Amino acid sequence: MPVFVLRRLVVSVFILLVSSFLIFFLVANSGDPLGDLRTDTSPNREQKIEHRIEKLHLDQPVPQRYMTWLGGVSKCAVPGLGCDLGQSVRDQDVSVLLSQALSATLQLVTAAIVLSIILGVTVGVVSSLRQYSGFDYTITFTAFLFFSLPVFWVAVLLKQYLAIEANDWYDDPKIGLTSTVVLSLLSGLFWGAILGGKRARRWIVRGTAAVLTAGLLQYLSAVEWFQRPALGPALIALLSFGTAVGLTALLAGLHRRNVLYGCLTTAAVGSVVQFPALNWIEDSTWASWTNVGLLALGAIAVAAVIGYFFGGLDRGPAIRACVLTALFTGAFMVTDILLRTVPSYSQKVNGRILATTGAETPDLNGTFWQNQLDQITHLILPTLAIMLISFATYSRYSRATMLDVMNQDYVRTARAKGLTERTVVVRHAFRNALIPLTTLAAVDLGVIVGGAVITEKVFARRGMGSLFVTALDQVDPNPVMGFYIVTAVSIVVFNMLADIAYAYLDPRIRLS
Amino acid sequence: MPEIETTAAVPSAPADPPQQVEREFTIKAMTQRQLVFRRFFRHRGAMTALVVLGAAVLLAFSSIGVAGIPGWWDASYAEAGQVVSGGPTLDVLPSPIDGDGLQVGAHPFGQDDVGRDYFALTMRGMQRSLLIALLVGLTATVIGVVIGSLAGFFRGKIDAILMRVTDVILTIPLLLTAAVVGRTSDGGAVSLALLLGLIVWTSLARLVRGEFLSLREKEFVEAARALGASSTRIIFRHIVPNTLGTIIVNATLTIASAILLETALSFLGFGVQNPDTSLGKLISDYQTAFQTRPWLFWWPGLFIVLIALTINFIGDGLRDAFDPKQTRVRA
Amino acid sequence: MMTEHSGSTPQVPDNSADNSADSSKAPLLQVEDLTVRFPTEDGIVNAVRGVSYCLAEREVLGIVGESGSGKSVSSMAVMGLLPRSALISGRILLEGQDILKMSAKQQRSLRGRRVAMIFQDPMTALNPVYTIGDQLAEAVRSHAAIPKKAALARAAEMLDLVGIPQPKERLRAYPHEFSGGMRQRVMIAMAVINNPDIIIADEPTTALDVTVQAQILETLLEVKDAVNAAIILITHDLGVVAGMAHRVVVMYAGRPVEIGTTDEVFGSPRMPYTAGLLGSIPDLEATVDRLTPIPGAPPSLINLPKGCPFSPRCPLVEARCVDVEPDLQDTDQVSHLAACHRWPLVSQLEDPSVIFTPTKVGSL
Repeated sequence: MPVFVLRRLVVSVFILLVSSFLIFFLVANSGDPLGDLRTDTSPNREQKIEHRIEKLHLDQPVPQRYMTWLGGVSKCAVPGLGCDLGQSVRDQDVSVLLSQALSATLQLVTAAIVLSIILGVTVGVVSSLRQYSGFDYTITFTAFLFFSLPVFWVAVLLKQYLAIEANDWYDDPKIGLTSTVVLSLLSGLFWGAILGGKRARRWIVRGTAAVLTAGLLQYLSAVEWFQRPALGPALIALLSFGTAVGLTALLAGLHRRNVLYGCLTTAAVGSVVQFPALNWIEDSTWASWTNVGLLALGAIAVAAVIGYFFGGLDRGPAIRACVLTALFTGAFMVTDILLRTVPSYSQKVNGRILATTGAETPDLNGTFWQNQLDQITHLILPTLAIMLISFATYSRYSRATMLDVMNQDYVRTARAKGLTERTVVVRHAFRNALIPLTTLAAVDLGVIVGGAVITEKVFARRGMGSLFVTALDQVDPNPVMGFYIVTAVSIVVFNMLADIAYAYLDPRIRLS
Repeated sequence: MPEIETTAAVPSAPADPPQQVEREFTIKAMTQRQLVFRRFFRHRGAMTALVVLGAAVLLAFSSIGVAGIPGWWDASYAEAGQVVSGGPTLDVLPSPIDGDGLQVGAHPFGQDDVGRDYFALTMRGMQRSLLIALLVGLTATVIGVVIGSLAGFFRGKIDAILMRVTDVILTIPLLLTAAVVGRTSDGGAVSLALLLGLIVWTSLARLVRGEFLSLREKEFVEAARALGASSTRIIFRHIVPNTLGTIIVNATLTIASAILLETALSFLGFGVQNPDTSLGKLISDYQTAFQTRPWLFWWPGLFIVLIALTINFIGDGLRDAFDPKQTRVRA
Repeated sequence: MMTEHSGSTPQVPDNSADNSADSSKAPLLQVEDLTVRFPTEDGIVNAVRGVSYCLAEREVLGIVGESGSGKSVSSMAVMGLLPRSALISGRILLEGQDILKMSAKQQRSLRGRRVAMIFQDPMTALNPVYTIGDQLAEAVRSHAAIPKKAALARAAEMLDLVGIPQPKERLRAYPHEFSGGMRQRVMIAMAVINNPDIIIADEPTTALDVTVQAQILETLLEVKDAVNAAIILITHDLGVVAGMAHRVVVMYAGRPVEIGTTDEVFGSPRMPYTAGLLGSIPDLEATVDRLTPIPGAPPSLINLPKGCPFSPRCPLVEARCVDVEPDLQDTDQVSHLAACHRWPLVSQLEDPSVIFTPTKVGSL
């Protein structure tokens, strides 16, 4: 294995050398870096030109310039020497520019990618298990539609319609009769497709879901929940218990009583702890990611202990399910706080709560939770735009992989052993489907560092993509090369991680 | 199966002596190609998509004509005119629901700010976008198949070199190349298409190589080799036909993504340049007019979605037809 | 559709006449008029059309037939492993209880515990990402609440039983570290780990080297005796059946066409198809220098021809064969049933396989 990784590394470095030279050559020929200065009319024009020629080594021939650049870059590989990626035409250090852009991009893309992986894989697996059902056809069509949408077209539409409509609605958040009817019908169809079953059962599910949704919407509207949204302790407790049951069903099966009781106990503890915990984390002087993280660690520890004692013969799954229950309960609490921050935040931004440009409201001067909410509202639209294609990719890919795996002989063997359908699907089929899925995800993560060029442009966020496009536009060679080296290295590293993940997940690879 | 009488009465006097009764076997051997065609034509989504795409292509080329041949639509996409009302005159809603009944009007898709007929412009853009997509698909497929098959068939040094070349191409940002070429070439649809084709072949090359690596070990290739067939003959007669499924499906999907790629590049200003046009360029030209003339944004966008969606569905139908493994539940 | 079978049960072998069965109680497994149909885009495939047989305790029952004859599908129905789209009717009685009427949960609790299965291709039948020990222990733990350690100990015991050396160490191995024969031994161990009453072996040796086949069959018989199970052996290899099975069911086009003890069926077949199968086996001491194959191919299960499904290939075909599909009926031998209008003619021949030799047909 180490030999394999080392070989890959050497080959990758070689490829990077070749391609970086090629790209350096392309960049050098992409235009005149002095273009803007040639039309400059200021008296010190000559000085400026001279300064830039010296800074960008434009007096050297391209190969020599490349060697100079490479010398600076290679210092990055050795810690302590200081990274030298050159300067932009505006005299900014490229390494500084890059680190700013990279953190902005990661902030933008991480949530979108994680969400689309979770949602896409879940939906893909469910639709493979319900092959040729209404749900499957709907998802297939949706995925194809998402594949076929030009990103910027959708982004502009989201900005123009969703954001403005939502903000206008929030001026007086009431749900009218038409919206109630439409939303209830949609909810009925959705739950009918998810839960499935025979025809009669499906109609019951549809009807119940529609009626419940209509009632809920009207109730929320009547008590002005949308003006002062919150989950409240009762709902947090209810969600927590629901999660406990759901996670048990998924991770161990409901017939494993000790796992179920462990999770329910965890949920009970969480429901009680929420009262002091919510007070702590809401307190703006106390609130910080460090403290929230510490609370989460504490919750994990407590849940693990509960799982250990309840687990019995199923200790492993019990601990996993309890810890996840605790984390979900914590997430519900954070959601509750964020929701309760909405009214005060809304006042600060004049009721336009769904932001369309930038990464944060300038001069917000909010509390910790207001700032978090501000970042989230700025992330919603670009995240949706990025998620479209990623979601489609993951749902299609995981559907195809699951269909393939479910037809394998070892799944039939698992059934023949008398395992429950849950064990067959999760432990035997999904575990094998994870092998190609993980590889895809790892490769994908390597690519996202390059940023979402179009989304960044439409929503005016200053990430890697916009750095690259701006530099290209301005014929600014050093930021372009800096962008290239960061993205290329990340692709190489993540491809290698993909290989390692592959070997870790598939025992057949370990020996060879 | 017809009802069978349970009484064992022997039917009276068969026409032929029983020994010579020749009954047709109901198993009909179907060739691989027949099976593929049958599966494809039974794929409802793909067939619908094929019809819709065909109609769209027909509309694009018959309306404003192509290569000097005039079409049935009078307005020109190049000539500016008087702005009548600007908005689309196309209407399909009957009068009770907020419409004027089915009517086309003088400018069904509206007019742009200088009064050009937007229907003609959109049709022109569609022609150019389809051309780009086809060219990209063709170029990428040819390069991908050649590189992939050479690498997969000959292995060893040739494989190593070609695959490293592929790796290098993969690391080059598309935007950079587009920017360089955009600044040095005429910025027309054809040069953009060729450029894209020169870059997006890598995934197909890898797929074809993989298929070749596994197919060249198969018995029928060994048999051909034992019979003294030349490498060219083995590649083209024995291996390529077996990779056709992968190639065709991939080419289709490349065409669909090329439409979107061109749109994205045009939006960023690295795509098709004046005086040439495309659907992507139309949207990008008029994106600032969104508040005042939203239809300038809608029509090309809808046609991009239509083309990409139908081609994706056709690709899906082709994949199911060539590789039915995923679509059938095993008995 | 299956009017010729419904209501009549003569094709069910009379249990009291079964010499290997304990005549005092219900048979271990009794399949009655089982039909399985699959809706496909080309029409409904009649994969199994009225199969009836019974299996006594500790008995080895061979099911023989070409691929597509319904032999695997009918036993998958017994396992409850058919895809959800399958339309199943008839009865499958396990000690008098109808499996088809049971809830999914009850069916599941039978699988692997009372009825176990061994599949054809051991190379793909084991999950590549879990160790042998994990997969064996899982089989135990899905039916009994015992600690994993105990389950692993049981697994080691079973590996030892099927003749895998150093069983404790081998528990930590992955399937890819085993050869095909070894993997099939693991599959056998997995099948018997819960002391099942019935082991269904679906072509257990077809995918293996000829040299390993005999060892695997030997192991299978040893293990069967160790856990007192009955075996349903599905195969197209008549030699395997002749060496192992007490009784044989010969299937053609989704139906049994001949049922009887192995000696009777193979020694004096009463159905031309069986005779043809026997004639297609190479014989080292044969006096004739060519094999006599059965001409033609089995019919499509979507549009079955009227009459006997074998009639288009049968040299003894006569008018009623073309019109009426024969039921399984008693022949001149005790407990030997055949579905053939012309069994009396077949019974008169000393070597029935000669009917497929072209020159002989005219002289009949």
